[in-house]
Amino acid sequence: MSVPPKTIRVVIVDDHAIFRSGLKADLAPDIMVLAEAATVEEAITAVTAQQPDVVLLDVHLPGGRGQGGREVIAGCGSMLGTTKFLALSVSDSAEDVVSVIRAGARGYVTKSISGAEISDAVRRVAGGDAVFSPRLAGFVLDAFGTAEVAVEDELDKLSARELEVMRLIARGYSYKEVAKALFISIKTVETHVSAVLRKLQLSSRHELTRWAADRRLL
Amino acid sequence: MSAKMYRSQERILAGVCGGLAEHLGIKVGLVRAIMIGTTFFFGAGPVFYGWLWLLVPMAGEQSAKDKKLLDADGNPRLKLFRPGAAAAVDAAAADSPQRSRPTLAFRDVLIGGVLLIAAVIVFSVQTGLDLQLSTVIPLLVIILGAFLAWMQLDSTRRIGLLNATKMNTPMALLRLGGGIALVITGVIVIVAGSGSWQLMWASVVASLAVLAGVALVLAPWVLKFWREFQDERAGRIRESERAEIAAHLHDSVLQTLALIQKNAHSATDVTRLARAQERELREWIYQDTERNSGALVERVKAVCAEAEDLYGQVVEVVAVGDAELTEQGNALVQAVREAVMNGVRHGGTTVSVYLEAGPKGVDVFVKDRGPGFDITAVPVDRLGVRESVVGRMQRNGGTAEIISSAEGTEVRLHLPIDSSVTEEAK
Repeated sequence: MSVPPKTIRVVIVDDHAIFRSGLKADLAPDIMVLAEAATVEEAITAVTAQQPDVVLLDVHLPGGRGQGGREVIAGCGSMLGTTKFLALSVSDSAEDVVSVIRAGARGYVTKSISGAEISDAVRRVAGGDAVFSPRLAGFVLDAFGTAEVAVEDELDKLSARELEVMRLIARGYSYKEVAKALFISIKTVETHVSAVLRKLQLSSRHELTRWAADRRLL
Repeated sequence: MSAKMYRSQERILAGVCGGLAEHLGIKVGLVRAIMIGTTFFFGAGPVFYGWLWLLVPMAGEQSAKDKKLLDADGNPRLKLFRPGAAAAVDAAAADSPQRSRPTLAFRDVLIGGVLLIAAVIVFSVQTGLDLQLSTVIPLLVIILGAFLAWMQLDSTRRIGLLNATKMNTPMALLRLGGGIALVITGVIVIVAGSGSWQLMWASVVASLAVLAGVALVLAPWVLKFWREFQDERAGRIRESERAEIAAHLHDSVLQTLALIQKNAHSATDVTRLARAQERELREWIYQDTERNSGALVERVKAVCAEAEDLYGQVVEVVAVGDAELTEQGNALVQAVREAVMNGVRHGGTTVSVYLEAGPKGVDVFVKDRGPGFDITAVPVDRLGVRESVVGRMQRNGGTAEIISSAEGTEVRLHLPIDSSVTEEAK
């Protein structure tokens, strides 16, 4: 992508030391790891002290009030403008994914992701874009519905174009491929994805997280 | 937490004054003086004291519970299984046998008994009820007996908790009930033995008053006892749950790890084993929150799992909505299977499967990032794609499209729910 060759400073938050060191080794050379943290408290301290560009944040963390990643984001609330959070998890549960996104994370990727992919995701998040995995796109489609429905609040539904973009991401398309398939620029795809992220964070539609749990979403 | 009040561990009676002083941020001595002082205003002090005693938990108990909660969270194994079991509830209740329980000194009982007797006497004098010494003394003996019975209950309960055996707690309850019955019988026998009905009435009233007093004293302990019983039961449930988890891990994860060590030289085998185990574990963990219980998605997931097992290649399934498994649906599943098999065989990379079931029909997209192939160049006699995918879909009123380029191949399948409605497959 058109990312200037500038180092991105990150903090890795995960309670498994093996995973942290593996991730550190996997990250591209232009990504610098400032600090690591294993618990909610450590994470908030490290992020506040280091002021990184991106925080790689595990959804499940020990410590705090048992809220894990959500609590870290809440604890660093004042920095959301400058520091971006990218959620990492092995969890498939919509509750985990959607709740951490709604707390303010700019994206969600699974831990099985490759080093190149995660580096790319970090760059994208640092650039202010949102990162959607196919699974997250699937959750979004499930939560907002795949059909055009009439709702009063614009936040409660996806536009036809956003639906198309989400569908393609759920099908495993990269942003570049989405752009090509829809004959739009990558920038436009990113705009659509960011708009979906905003809707996911702000929409009051049926209290999305609870909705997801009630509907026994995976 | 700090805003919550607890009874103090450093105590003379029940730690109420200490706790209150800590809660309000004033000196203990002052609180005690106020407590004693207010006793002369219609006994407000002791009533308030008793009320707090009854309702405010001991400091040690609550903090032990809280600490336990954190421990459970810090434990990665339990964290992993968080969605499956109500771990938080269990965690809060666990660990009752090891918990340091403040033991009740004999002195406390003595002070309580003396105070109770004094209260009864003061009460009867104030209301003008003239109690005869011959009635009071046997009653005092009975009260003492009740206290002894209660103390025995306390010690047996403690042993019962330590042993964590089931029978002790209901037995102790039975003993308590028996003790109370005995006390009542004793009172009636004593009073009836004296022969005077008038005296008996007075005694019954008096003994009822005493019983009420005893009940008042016992109430906090009964409450406490009940809470401890609940804690212990929750601990047992948790224990059995842990045993079940351990058994499951042994049967699945440990076996797989052993297999992986044996096959460490073969990357394909290791991936396949790990992936299969991951899938199985996920299914187990998220069984309660499984999204799609409907048949179609389940079948699609099953065939994708089959492909993963066969070729050791990751197949990622994302499903939105679900549908009934009809005959056409079955054909769709078979077509998906063929497409996924092709993907893992020829693509050699992760295969993405996206299924969307709506009111109009079901769409399935199977995408790989392999080198792709030229569809027109596929020989006519190759049945794989032409027959199993395209032909099968067409025969069942659906459509199939295959788009292949150097960046990968995508198979798009569409099956309308109602065969009369033919929707274009994107």
